[in-house]
Amino acid sequence: AQARMQGGSSGIGYGLKYQARCISDVKADTDYTSFLAGTLSLKEENEVHLLRLSSGGSELICEGLFSHPNEIWDLASCPFDQRIFSTVFSTGESFGAAIWQIPELYGQLNSPQLERVASLDAHVGKINCVLWWPSGRCDKLISMDEQNIFLWSLDCSNKSAEVLSKDSAGMLHSLSGGAWDPHDVNAVAATGESSVQFWDLRTMKYGISVDLLCSQKVNSIERAHVRGVDYNPKREHILITAEDESGIHVWDLRKAKAPVQELPGHTHWTWAVKCNPEYDGLILSAGTDSAVNLWYASASSTNNKAPESPVESTRERVNLLLNSYTDYEDSVYGLAWSSREPWVFASLSYDGRVVIESVKPFLPRL
Amino acid sequence: MATEAAPMDEKAKRMRDLLSSFYTPDPSISTPTSSISTSFDNINGPSFDADQYMDLMIKKSNLDVLLQRHVQMAAEIKNLDTDLQMLVYENYNKFISATDTIKRMKSNIFGMEGNMDQLLHKIMSVQSRSDGVNTSLFEKREHIEKLHRTRNLLRKVQFIYDLPARLQKCIKSEAYGDAVRFYTGAMPILKVYGDTSFKDCRRASEEAIETIIKNLQTKLFSDSESIQARAEAAVLLKQLDVPVDSLKDKLLEKLEQSLDGLQINPDEASKLAEHNVSSKDEESNNQGPAKIHEDAVRGFSEAMRAYREIFPDSEERLFKLARALTTTHFENMELYIRKRVSAADFLGIFRIIWEDVVLMDEVLPEAALSDLSAEAAQVTLKQFVARTFSHLQQDISDTLLKFDINQKEVVDGEVLKVVLEASGKAVLQGTTDIFQEFRQLLDENTGIFVKMNDLLIGWIQKGFQDFFRSLESHFLVLSGKTSSSNETEGLVEGKSSEKIHAGLILVLAQLSVVIEQKVIPRIAEEITASFSGGNSQAFIPGELCRVFHAASEKLLQHYIDTRTQKISNVLRKRFKTPNWVKHKEPREVHMYVDMLLQQLEEVGKEVKQILPQGTFRKHKRSDSNGSNTTTSSRSTTLHSDKMARSNSQRARSQLFETHLAKLFKQKVEIFTKVEFTQESVVTTTVKLCLKSLQEYVRLQTFNRSGFQQIQLDIQFLKAPLKETVEDEAAIDFLLDEVIVAASERCLDVTPLEPPILDKLIQAKLAKSKEHNNNNNKTTVSS
Repeated sequence: AQARMQGGSSGIGYGLKYQARCISDVKADTDYTSFLAGTLSLKEENEVHLLRLSSGGSELICEGLFSHPNEIWDLASCPFDQRIFSTVFSTGESFGAAIWQIPELYGQLNSPQLERVASLDAHVGKINCVLWWPSGRCDKLISMDEQNIFLWSLDCSNKSAEVLSKDSAGMLHSLSGGAWDPHDVNAVAATGESSVQFWDLRTMKYGISVDLLCSQKVNSIERAHVRGVDYNPKREHILITAEDESGIHVWDLRKAKAPVQELPGHTHWTWAVKCNPEYDGLILSAGTDSAVNLWYASASSTNNKAPESPVESTRERVNLLLNSYTDYEDSVYGLAWSSREPWVFASLSYDGRVVIESVKPFLPRL
Repeated sequence: MATEAAPMDEKAKRMRDLLSSFYTPDPSISTPTSSISTSFDNINGPSFDADQYMDLMIKKSNLDVLLQRHVQMAAEIKNLDTDLQMLVYENYNKFISATDTIKRMKSNIFGMEGNMDQLLHKIMSVQSRSDGVNTSLFEKREHIEKLHRTRNLLRKVQFIYDLPARLQKCIKSEAYGDAVRFYTGAMPILKVYGDTSFKDCRRASEEAIETIIKNLQTKLFSDSESIQARAEAAVLLKQLDVPVDSLKDKLLEKLEQSLDGLQINPDEASKLAEHNVSSKDEESNNQGPAKIHEDAVRGFSEAMRAYREIFPDSEERLFKLARALTTTHFENMELYIRKRVSAADFLGIFRIIWEDVVLMDEVLPEAALSDLSAEAAQVTLKQFVARTFSHLQQDISDTLLKFDINQKEVVDGEVLKVVLEASGKAVLQGTTDIFQEFRQLLDENTGIFVKMNDLLIGWIQKGFQDFFRSLESHFLVLSGKTSSSNETEGLVEGKSSEKIHAGLILVLAQLSVVIEQKVIPRIAEEITASFSGGNSQAFIPGELCRVFHAASEKLLQHYIDTRTQKISNVLRKRFKTPNWVKHKEPREVHMYVDMLLQQLEEVGKEVKQILPQGTFRKHKRSDSNGSNTTTSSRSTTLHSDKMARSNSQRARSQLFETHLAKLFKQKVEIFTKVEFTQESVVTTTVKLCLKSLQEYVRLQTFNRSGFQQIQLDIQFLKAPLKETVEDEAAIDFLLDEVIVAASERCLDVTPLEPPILDKLIQAKLAKSKEHNNNNNKTTVSS
C-alpha cells in the first residue's frame, strides 16, 4: 500500500481507510524510519497502522495493521520500546487512555490483535494526551484531561499502571495538550484556553502531589488559544507554541514576557508545531489551511534581533518560511519528525492521508 | 656668384686651418672640421704619405685627371707660398714696434727716485710732531674725564634726591608711566644705599609709589577707564612688582560670574527668537530682549578683549570662558528644542548664538570657537531634525488615538472614517509642513549653515527615511501586532491585543496604503525637486513603499485575525458549553448565530467606513428573502436525502461519497489573498469563521439532536451570509463542509425534516424582525 503523490510534490503518500488525526514517530526503532498512525472513525472499526519507510526512502510500506477498539484522539510511541505505544480514545460519550503492545510475530498472524499493556482507567475525564518520559528508559507517563494532570508509573512486565500523583488545575482552566521538557524532566508545559501552564513534577519525588510551579520560573504564559506546544530539544528554555489566529511564537522561558520570535503561521489556525530533533531552529507547523510549513527560526536571529536594521529583519522574516507543503486536501492535524532520519517528517491530514516528505531540498546552509 | 663663393671659402678655410696647425704643434688640438677624413688621401692630414698618395692617384686616375690635378696643385703651392710671405712680413712689423715701446719706457722711469726720498722724509717729521702734542695734552684729558664722572654721579644723587618730588609731580599729572620709569631707574641705587645715605629719600619715594600703585589699581578695576589705560596700568603694576595674578583672578572671576547673565534661558528662548526675527524686519524695534542680549555679549567680549591685552598670560582662561559660554549656549539650545520649536524660532536662536560666537571669535580667534560651535551646531541641528520628526510622529499618533473608538457608536457612526481622514491629513500635511520647515533651514545663509547644507540635506533625507520606518513600526505597535518591549519597556505592554479596537487596526492598514501611495511619492517628489544636486541617497522611496505595502497587508491581515479571533471566542463558547452527545431536540435557531452575524455586520460597517468598494459587485438577487430560503432548504433536502441513505448503508461509503463529491466539485479556493476592498475583507472574514466553525464541529461528537441543531443553525446562516459576501460558491461550500463535518461526527445522522427546518427558520426570522422593529421603535422614540 504505497503510492507516490501526483504533481510536483516529492512526498510519498499513504492512505488510511478513515479520517485520522494522530501520527507518531517510532523513536525506539533504530533500524527503520517508521511511524504509527491511528484512525478517527466514530462508527467503524478503527485501526493503527505501522508504517515503515523503505531503506531507499522511496516507498512507504505498511508493516502492520492492528484494529483498535475506539477512535483515536492521541497516539504516542514509547521512546524506549518500539512495540509499545499509548492512545487516547473516545467512545463518543467518554474518553479513555491505554498503553498497547504490538504482538511480536504480528507479520505471521492473520489478524494480529494489539495487547493491552495497561489501561489508564483511574483517569476519568476528557483526556487529551499521554506524554512519555522525554528520553531514556523510564516508566513514567503523564496523562492530561481538561483540568487534571496524572503522573503514572508503568510496569510493562506486570501489565499495570499506577497513579503516582495527580493534581488539578482547577475548573477555570481547560487544558488541551502538553509537552514534557527534554532538558528538565521535572517540567511539563500544558496548553490551556488562555495560557500555557508550567507544571513542576519535582515535588512528586517527595510523594507530594504534582504542583503548579509558582516561584523561580514563569508558571504561565498568557496567550489565547494555544493549540500546540513543543520544547526545542536542542536548546534549553526555548519553547514554541502554535496559536489559532496568531501563528507561531518562539519563547525563551527565562524572559517569557514577550516572545523572542514570531512566525506568521497559517492562513487559518496553526494546529501543531514540532521542533526538529536534530537541527536547531528547524520548525514544522501544520494548519487547518491544508498546509504544512517548514520554518527556520535560527538561534542567532532569536538572540540578536534588536541590533539588526529593519531591512535585514524584513528580509529575514521572509526567509523564515523555507517551504510550504500545500498538497493536502484537508486540515493537517498529525505531524511528526523522524528521529532516525531527522530530515524526514510525516504528516497526516484529516482525510486519512499520510505524506512523508524530506526537507533536505529546502534546508538553508546550516 | 654663390656657386663660386663656396669653393673660395673652402679654400680660405683650408688655408686658415693649415696656418693654425702650423702654429699649434699638437695635431690633436686642430679643429675637428679639418680632420673629417684622416685617410691617406688627405693631403693636409698629419699621416699623409706622399708615395702612397701618388700610387693611388696613378692607379685611380687617367692622364687628364692627373694633369688637371697637377695644375691644381701647382697653383695651390704657389698660393701657399705667397701667403707665407705675407705672414712673415706682418710679424716682422709687429716686432719692430714692440722694440720701440720698450725703449721709450726706459727713458720715462729715469727721474722718479729723488721724489720718493723727499716724501719719506716729510712723513717722518709729521709723526714726531704728533707725538709731541699727545704727550703735552695727556694730563688735561685725564682730569676732564674724572670731572665728567663726578658730574654724572652728582647728577644721579640729585635725581635720587629729587625723586619724591618728581614722583609727586607725576602723580599730579597722572604720568604714571614716567613715575614708574624714574622709580625703577632709581631702584638699584636705592637698594644699595637706601638704608644709609638716602633713607629719607627712599621712604618718601616709596610713599609716593604706594600712592601710584593704589591709583593704578583703581584705574585697573574701574570700568570707565579705557582698555588701553587699564592695560597700561596693569603693565606698570607689573613693572612695580605688584602681584597682578591675584588681581587677575579677581577680575576673571567677576567675568565668569557675568556668564550666567548671558545664557539663553530655554524657557524664554522663544521670546528671544521672536524678537530677533521681528527686529530683523524693523530696525526701529531695537530694545527687544535680543538686543539686550546682544549688548551684554558685546560687553562680555569687550571685557575679554581688555583682559586679554591686560593679562596676556590669561588667554587660556579666557578661551575656557568663551568656550564655556558657547557650550552652554548649545546646551540650552538642546533643552529649548526638546519642546516643540518651529524652524523659524530655531533659526532665531541659532542666529543669536552665532552672532555671539562671531563676537567672541573676533576677540579670541585662537579659541577656535567657530570650530567648537560648528561641531555643536551639527549636533544640535541633527537633533532638531530628529526631534521635529519625532514630534510629527507624536502628532500622528495623537490624531489616531484622539478619538475614543471604543465607544459603541464607532461601528454605526463615521468615527473610523473621521479618524482615517484626520490621521491621513496629519501624515500628508505634517510631512509637507516639516519639509517646508527644513527648507527654511536650508535657505538660511548664516555662515555656519551654509557649510552644513550638504550634511543637512543628508539628515533630512535620512530623517524622512527613519521617520517612515519608525512610523511603520509604531503602527505595528499601535495595532498590537508587535510589542514595543524593545523601545519602551512596560509602556504599551499592558495594552494587550484584545484591548486594541479592531477598527483602529483597520484605520492603520488603510493609512499605510495612503502613506505608500500618496505621502511617500509626494515627499520623494519634493526631495528630488529640492535636492536634485545632492548625491545623498539616504531617502529610498521604493524601499519605504515596499515597507508600507507590507505593513498594510500585515495590518489588514491582523484586522481580520483580530475580528475572527473575536468570532472564534463566540464559537468556542458555543461548542464547549453543551454536551453534544446528550443534546436535546432543536427548538429554535441558537442565539450564537445572532452574535456571529452581529460581529460580521460590525466588520461590514467598519470596512465600509475605511475601505473602497471592489470593482466586482455581485448582482443583488431580485427575489425575496423568503423564496430564497426555500430554494436553499430544497437543496439541503437533497443533501439530507443523500445522508439519510448513506446512514442506512455503511458509513464508510458515505465518507467515500463525500470524498468523491469533493473530487468532482470544483476545488473552491477558500484562502484567497485579501484585497483592500470592503468585499474582500468581509468575504475573507466569513470564510475564516466558517472554517473555524467546521474545525470546532470536528472536535465534538453529536447525537442526532446535536446534529440537527447544527443543521438548523447552518441553514439559517446561509441566506444572510450570502447577502454579505461576494464569493457565494465558497460560502456554500464551507457551509456544506460544516454539515458534512457534523454528520461525520454524529452517532446517528437523521436530518431534520425540511418542513420543520423551514418552520423553525421562519420563526427565527419573525423573531429577529420583531426585535429589529422594537429596536427601531426605541431609537425613533428616543
